[in-house]
Amino acid sequence: MSRALPPPTSLRLVNDEPAIALDPAALQRLRDLDPGGRGRLLERVLEAFESSSTRLAAQLVEARERDDTAGIRLVVHTLKSSSASIGALLLARLCAEIEASLRDGMHADLAGRLDAMLHELQVVLQMVKPMLKGTPPP
Amino acid sequence: MNSLAGPFADDLPERPKVLLVDDDEVNLLLTSVALRDQGFAVTEASSGEKAMRVLADWLPDVVVLDALMPGLDGFETCKALRLLPGCESLPVLMLTGLDDDASIAHAYEVGATDFFVKATQWSLLAGRLRYLLRASRTRAELERSKSRLARAQDLARMGSFDWKRGQGGPLYSVEGLRVFGFGPGDQPSFRSLLRMVPEEERSAFLELTHSAMDRSTVLATDIHARLGDGRQRIVHIEAEPEFNEHGNLIGYTGIVQDVTDRRLAEDRIRHLANFDTLTGLPNRRQLIWRAERSLEHGRRLGHQVALLLIDLDRFKIVNDTLGHGAGDELLMEVSRRLRSCVRHSDQVLENSLESVGVRSHRTLEAVGRLGGDEFVALLPEVIDEGDAERVATRILEVMRTPITIGMQECFVTASVGIAIFPRDGQTVADLLRNSDVAMYAAKSAGRNASSLYRPTLAGRGREKLELESALHKAIERNELVLHYQPKIDVRGAKMVGAEALMRWRRHGVLVAPGDFIPLAEETGLIIPLSEWAIREAARQARVWQDNFGFDDSIAVNLPNRLFERTDLVEYIHNAVTTYGVPHRMIELEITETGLMKDLQNVIPALHRLNEIGVEISIDDFGTGYSSLAYLTTLPISELKIDRSFVRDLGMTPQSSAVVTAIIALARSLGLRVIAEGVENLRQMEVLHRLGCGIMQGFLFSKPQAPEDIERWLEQTVLPKKAPWIGQAHEVEVADVPRPLRGRETRLKPPG
Repeated sequence: MSRALPPPTSLRLVNDEPAIALDPAALQRLRDLDPGGRGRLLERVLEAFESSSTRLAAQLVEARERDDTAGIRLVVHTLKSSSASIGALLLARLCAEIEASLRDGMHADLAGRLDAMLHELQVVLQMVKPMLKGTPPP
Repeated sequence: MNSLAGPFADDLPERPKVLLVDDDEVNLLLTSVALRDQGFAVTEASSGEKAMRVLADWLPDVVVLDALMPGLDGFETCKALRLLPGCESLPVLMLTGLDDDASIAHAYEVGATDFFVKATQWSLLAGRLRYLLRASRTRAELERSKSRLARAQDLARMGSFDWKRGQGGPLYSVEGLRVFGFGPGDQPSFRSLLRMVPEEERSAFLELTHSAMDRSTVLATDIHARLGDGRQRIVHIEAEPEFNEHGNLIGYTGIVQDVTDRRLAEDRIRHLANFDTLTGLPNRRQLIWRAERSLEHGRRLGHQVALLLIDLDRFKIVNDTLGHGAGDELLMEVSRRLRSCVRHSDQVLENSLESVGVRSHRTLEAVGRLGGDEFVALLPEVIDEGDAERVATRILEVMRTPITIGMQECFVTASVGIAIFPRDGQTVADLLRNSDVAMYAAKSAGRNASSLYRPTLAGRGREKLELESALHKAIERNELVLHYQPKIDVRGAKMVGAEALMRWRRHGVLVAPGDFIPLAEETGLIIPLSEWAIREAARQARVWQDNFGFDDSIAVNLPNRLFERTDLVEYIHNAVTTYGVPHRMIELEITETGLMKDLQNVIPALHRLNEIGVEISIDDFGTGYSSLAYLTTLPISELKIDRSFVRDLGMTPQSSAVVTAIIALARSLGLRVIAEGVENLRQMEVLHRLGCGIMQGFLFSKPQAPEDIERWLEQTVLPKKAPWIGQAHEVEVADVPRPLRGRETRLKPPG
């Protein structure tokens, strides 16, 4: 990552309810897929998320430098669904909003939105890291 | 991971193979884990390019494609995979975003089977996939069944059509077009199809069609059609009306089928079932059917029906001497001739009769072949028996011209039996039986004639026939037995030979020779019967030889025709050799009448027999007209005085005069003499006194089974317990002429 990310802001959902970076219900769904954790599914999913989101974030930087809207759109599209999968609901929503506005050709405040999204990604990744070491999420 | 067999009904593969294509690692991992958990076998591909590589040599049951991917995206991938062989109808599920309407539309455009909004509810995806698989399977089955139907219709030369009211002519399926000789692109008008139907059928067909439409009923008919290439076909049309919700006829839907081959086959089957293949005449089945219809008409209209049974005379001889091929040729010629004797009509088959009218029974008239050389002429209406007799006479007449087969001219005659309905029978079976009886009467009256049935005839011919066929089998069934009547030297009180007499044990009852020997002679069966008797006598001679030192001869009665057989000597030789007894132990008896009737032909055989030691005895002597000149030269050994003279001995002087003469004749010719039918002591005494010492008759023993003869010898003759034994001795004391000399020395007196 060539650019410093803005500091994490307090997270809020649209309806102003206190937000959490990772939805416990979503995490529970993942655990349900792997009863007893024998398949280390949760860890593998989070690992996959960490590596792919890191790769996507790098792709995003390149696309922004080239002003490659389609490239930006593909990154947020992919990030949208993978973040939704691990319960990073706010991140998923931010991605979806950016994707939708790009599809509709509205580029207003794209930089700010992308920054906010990347910030949320950092928050999520920080939550993910301890879980990768086998400790349960807070 | 749980493998759940449950969620899949048995119409799906146990673990459906899924190719999962997604560039998002997280999704790829989660989706594949979730699907595996639901019982799918998942293969992952992280890009469209990788998916295409996988599909190049592997075929999944279903493909799940992420729509948006870098490089080859889902849409491009879908488009590309549709071009791969085997993937044309592979179910493809496109994963799209929730709010991405454009992608959804695009997905269908590129050939995706369905779309699914990406979500974290994996069970929903699994359910959708299952639905997709089922739908795809159903579709594949539908395709298969459609192509099977098309193939079946093709094989059945069948196609379908639809006709909607107010929309011109019927529309045909490809197969339907083919029935009428059109290609898939053709759109023949109803008028052009109608022109294929022969003109004379056309209006009837149109009428039928209109009346079906007017009444909204099912249309089913066959039409003849001349196709564009000139082929004549028979097309079956069957259509059902279709109605709208108000119950109004809106059209017809149905099938057309080329049934030409089936019709021809049916005609052929019907012909084979009803007509004799050799002569082409109606067969038994068809004849009986015609006869039954004739009787129905006769009953209803009150007229008489005649049934003529025609049997060729001596057809068997033609078959035996010229071969079956010649026999068949003869039957064909006979058929042609017989056919000319009646107003024969071929074309009467079931269900074509009703329409012809009151006199339609006339068309039933025919000659048919019952089988073998038996034919029937059916006259469905006769005024009287004279009508039938005239036809019979005509039949006998047409047979008169010789039939040339190969280079041979054959003279064939027939015997005809006539039975008239209702006089001679109420049913076809009765009439057939009675015409058969009449036919046999014609045969026994000398053949080549016709005979009307008379109740007095009943029972004769048939009984005789049954007897004849039973007699045929009597030998192989071991039903024949020989009984033996001893020849007695009364002076010595000793058995000096025996005469073998044939008996037929039929159904456990002994049939007397008088009841079957004449029949055997008439039919020629006497030959095998006699041959059997010779062998059996030789066998018995051996048994007796072994049992009690029998050393005399057993006399077998032979008809004169057997002496004409050149192999008789050989046959006897074989018979005695088989059982290891000398030739002289078989003696042959021929009647005086039989001998004299055919003297010239019989003499050579007599000489040959005599040479090998077989003696000849003249049976029933005194009843025929012997040429005394011949008698002196014939190689014979014995004269048997006929029982009629013996019976009257001591009652009429003539009889003793005849007996005396015979004895004198025998003595002067150096022949043995033996008296038959000796029943009482008086006859015995007279015979003995006149110089005949050898006798045969009930006084001594009736003809008995060989075991009984042995018992009789042992219990009666040896202990000298019979009344005739003492008597004979007393007679011997009186001085009587001694006629025995020469050959009869082997009939040694005891001691």
